[in-house]
Amino acid sequence: MAQPQHSFLDWIGEHLFNCPFKAHFGFDCPGCGLQRSVLALFRGDLIASFKFYPATIPLIFVVVFTIVHLKVDFKFGAQLIKIVFAGVAVIILINYIYKIYTHQLI
Amino acid sequence: MSEEQETPQENKPIDLSKDKNPEPAPFQPLGNGPVTPPPFQQPPPFGQFGGGGFGQQNLPNSTASLVLGILAIPACCFYGIFGLIFGVIAWVLGAGDMKKYQLNPSLYTESSYKNAKAGKICGMIATILSALMVVMFILIIVGVVANPNMFENFLRDLR
Repeated sequence: MAQPQHSFLDWIGEHLFNCPFKAHFGFDCPGCGLQRSVLALFRGDLIASFKFYPATIPLIFVVVFTIVHLKVDFKFGAQLIKIVFAGVAVIILINYIYKIYTHQLI
Repeated sequence: MSEEQETPQENKPIDLSKDKNPEPAPFQPLGNGPVTPPPFQQPPPFGQFGGGGFGQQNLPNSTASLVLGILAIPACCFYGIFGLIFGVIAWVLGAGDMKKYQLNPSLYTESSYKNAKAGKICGMIATILSALMVVMFILIIVGVVANPNMFENFLRDLR
């Protein structure tokens, strides 16, 4: 009787959604790494999460902050959401270009 | 001349019929108050916010626009198509609400206007990003269909 040594996060890690783009063409799309990064964040590993996908932490911050903002209605809320969201977009673009130049796409 | 005095009596049942339509939101009777005097629309919006803004409604689509605009980036994984759809919807909803606010600023709250503006800008950013992805994918697909050998060289260069 083998005892279940894998945690729930390990089970999820083996059953992530496949990127349809990577399945067809064999290299990463600009969104690849997001699920692994969120999983690493659940494990508490901030550095691994950043290495998988640098935009995850600000993205989750924006989502959580938007929920709080819609409830509480901060004065600076909309402005902050705009700035962080633009930052997320820039991080995604830079991350993808960096991956192309450093040959990490495959 | 006596006929002119009768005409307001004819309008009375119309007014009653308007009052008989109860709308679900309790703020409606307060919100309808500023509609009737048109001179309140003329002063700039900043003066009115100082004077207390009770009776103002939230813009109808500001929350939806903001949420869709933010969800557009995580949704762009599937060839960027869902990101494009969400971003365009957020953009259109936000822009529509901004126009609605600028027509009569006294009706709506300023915070919902800011939310609609943020939703519009987030939708624009997500649309641009998703459109870049879609263009890249289309170029790659066209390249694969047109010349498979070229794509193999391209993959080799990426390694």
